[in-house]
Amino acid sequence: MKLGFSRADELFRAECADWLNGQMAGEFRDIKGITKLTASPERRKEWEQQLAAHKWSCIGWPEEWGGRNASLAHQVIFAEEYARAGVPGRVNHIGIELAGPTILAFGTDAQKQRFLPDIAAGKTIFCQGFSEPGAGSDLASVRTKARLEVVSGQEEWIVNGQKIWTSLAHISDWIFVVSRSEEGSKGPKGLTFLMMEIDQPGIEIRGITQINGDAEFNETFFTDARCPADSLIGAPGEGWKIAMGLLAFERGVSTLGQQMGFRNELDEIIAAAKANGAASDPLIRQRIAKAEIGLNLMRYGALRMLSQTDHSKIDGAALTYKIQWASWRRALGELAMDVLGQAGEVADGAEYEWDTLPNLFLYSRADTIYGGTNQIQRNLIAERGLGMPREPRGDV
Amino acid sequence: MDFRFSDDQLTLATSVRDYLSGTHGPEVLRHLDEAGPRDPAIWQGLVDMGLTGLLVPEAHGGLGMGLIEAALIAAECGRACLAEPLVDTAFVGVPWLLSQGQTDGLADVVAGTRKLAPAHAINPWVADGDGDALVSVDPLRKLTVRVERSRDTAAQGVSTSLDANGAGDDYLLNLGALMSAAQLVGLADAMLHQAVEYAKLRTQFGQPIGAFQGIKHQLASCSVAIEFAKPVVWRAAAALQDGLASAAAHVSHAKLAASDAAMLTAETAIQVHGAMGYTYEVDLHFWMKRSWALCGAWGDRAFHLKRIDDAVLGGSLPIGPEHTFA
Repeated sequence: MKLGFSRADELFRAECADWLNGQMAGEFRDIKGITKLTASPERRKEWEQQLAAHKWSCIGWPEEWGGRNASLAHQVIFAEEYARAGVPGRVNHIGIELAGPTILAFGTDAQKQRFLPDIAAGKTIFCQGFSEPGAGSDLASVRTKARLEVVSGQEEWIVNGQKIWTSLAHISDWIFVVSRSEEGSKGPKGLTFLMMEIDQPGIEIRGITQINGDAEFNETFFTDARCPADSLIGAPGEGWKIAMGLLAFERGVSTLGQQMGFRNELDEIIAAAKANGAASDPLIRQRIAKAEIGLNLMRYGALRMLSQTDHSKIDGAALTYKIQWASWRRALGELAMDVLGQAGEVADGAEYEWDTLPNLFLYSRADTIYGGTNQIQRNLIAERGLGMPREPRGDV
Repeated sequence: MDFRFSDDQLTLATSVRDYLSGTHGPEVLRHLDEAGPRDPAIWQGLVDMGLTGLLVPEAHGGLGMGLIEAALIAAECGRACLAEPLVDTAFVGVPWLLSQGQTDGLADVVAGTRKLAPAHAINPWVADGDGDALVSVDPLRKLTVRVERSRDTAAQGVSTSLDANGAGDDYLLNLGALMSAAQLVGLADAMLHQAVEYAKLRTQFGQPIGAFQGIKHQLASCSVAIEFAKPVVWRAAAALQDGLASAAAHVSHAKLAASDAAMLTAETAIQVHGAMGYTYEVDLHFWMKRSWALCGAWGDRAFHLKRIDDAVLGGSLPIGPEHTFA
C-alpha cells in the first residue's frame, strides 16, 4: 500500500488546476458554478469541444481515440481538479463514461472509428435508453421491440416502444437502446443493444418535470424508428451482457470526481452553519462530523476499489459503493436544510431557482433511486456479493 | 386517563375529511399551482361547517369548542394538503386573540370574511399574509415578509397579520407548533396511504412491489412512527387546552414526533414510488413540500429539543416517581 500522490502526480495536478481555473476565469467564466444539469446546454456543448481541443475530454482513453492513455491516478486527479474548479458537469457524461467505454470494449473497429473520435470531440452527445415504464428496477423486462427488415434493399432495425428517464435526451444526438429482438423471449434473453440517431421522425421526446422544477429527463417514444443493420453492439441477443458491462463502467473513475463535488457541498454547508450560528448547535456539529467521516469512508473505499487491477475480483466491495454515496448524500441534503432553517424554504429568484443547498436537498431525493434503488443495491450486495438465495421473482 | 375521542368529535373529524376529499383533491392543488383562480366555494364550505368559528365562544357566534377538536381537524387539513388558511386563522389566530381578550372582529372570522395570518418572532415569514408572496418551497402556502406592526385590513375582507410583539409570545408559539404537529400527522398519513396504494399497483419482477420485504418493511416503519406521534399530539392539545405548566414541553414533543414521522414518511414514500416519486406529475411532492415547510415553521427541531432538555434538566418539568407520566 502506498498512500498519497507522487511528485509527478502533483505536477500533473497543478497542470490540470491551472488549465481548468484559467478556463473558468476566462472564455468559459459564464458557466462556472452551474449545478443544474439542464442549464446552458449550448455553451456546455462548446465546453465539451474546448476540453477535446486541449485533449482533456477523456484522458483515460487510448491516444488513438483522442485520449491520453492516462493512468488511474491521473484520471482521479483530473476529476478532482475538475470539480474543485467549479466546472459544471459534463453534458456528454453518458457518452464519455458509458457509451465510449462500451464501444471500446465491445464494439467493432468500424464502430470505434465511427463514434469514438466524435464522442471525444464533444460532437456526438449520447443518452441512455434502458428504463421503461414497466421496466425500472426489473430492467430485464423491457418490452421495446426491434426487428430486422429489408427496406429499399438494405437491412434495417425497426424499433417500437417507449423508454423513460432518458436524461438529457432533448439535447442528445444518439441514444443506445436495449430492445427485445427475439419475439416471445423473456427477461435477459433475446435483447439487443442498438445505437440510434435521435433526429428522425420515428423518435419523439417529451420532458418530465421533476420535483425541483427542472426537466432533466424525458420520455422517449419509438414509432417505427430506424437504424442500419450494423448499429448493434455485440450480437443479436447479447444486449443484456452489453448492458451489464456498461453499468460496470458507472462505478469507474467518475465516482472520485463526484466525491470532490460532495466535498464542495459539505464545505458550503459548513460555511453556512458558521455564518448563521447553526455551528454552535451540538447536534448540528455532530452531524457535520458524521458527514465528514462518511465522505472519507467513500473516498478511501473508492480509492481501494480503483487500486485493484483485476476488476473481476472487486465485485463484492464495488457493489457496496452506490448505496453508500446515495444514502450519504440524501442525509447531506437533510443536514443542509437543518442548517439553513427556514431560509432554505425561500428562493431569491424565480420559482424553483433555488440556491445550491435547497436544490441539493431536492435533488438528493433521487440519488437513492436512479442507477438502481437502494433496495436493488441491497439485493445485489446480498445475492451477488454474499451469495445469498435470490428473492422469488415471478416467472422470469 | 382516557385517550378516546367522543363520538361527536369523531363525527366532526370524519365530516371534515369527507368534505375535503370530495372538494379539495389533488386537481385543486394543481389548479392553484398553475396560478388558476381560487374557488371561493371551498372556503365557504369550511365556513358553512362552522370551522372558522370552531374555537370562537358561542356568545360571539362560534361553536365554542377546544383545542382537541381543533387538532383533530388540523390533522384532516394536513391529510388534504389544504391550500386555505383555515388552521392559521381559526386554530392559531383565534385562540391567541381570545387569550389577549380581543373579541372585536371575531364575528367576521366566523363569517369567513376575515382571515388571520399570525406573525411571530420565531418565523422569519408570515404564511398567507398580505403583501408580495416570496418564492417558497411549498407552492401553495404563500410566505410574506413579516411586518413589525399589525395591519388590520379586515375592512377589505383580506388577511390580517397578527404580530405578537418582538420577543415572541409563548402561547402563540405553542398554538402554532401544536397545529403544525397536528397537520404533520395528517400529511404523513396521506403520504403513507399514497405509497401503500402505489406499492399494491406497481408490479416488477412479476409481482406487486409491496410484496417485497424491502418495500413493505419501510412502509411499516413509517406506520410505527406515525401511530406513535398521534397520541403525543393529542396529549399536547389537551395540555395546552388545560393550561398545564408542562404544556410547552408536550407541544415541543408533539412537534418533534410529528416532524420525524412526516419526514420519514416523505422520504420513504418517494423511495417507494421510485423515479415517479421524483416527478412533478405525481401528487406526492405537494404533501412532501408542505411537510418540509411545516417542520421548519414555529420552531425547528433544534429549538424544540432545546425546550425539552431545558425543561427536563433545568427543573421546570418535575421529575421523579410521583410525576412519572403525569
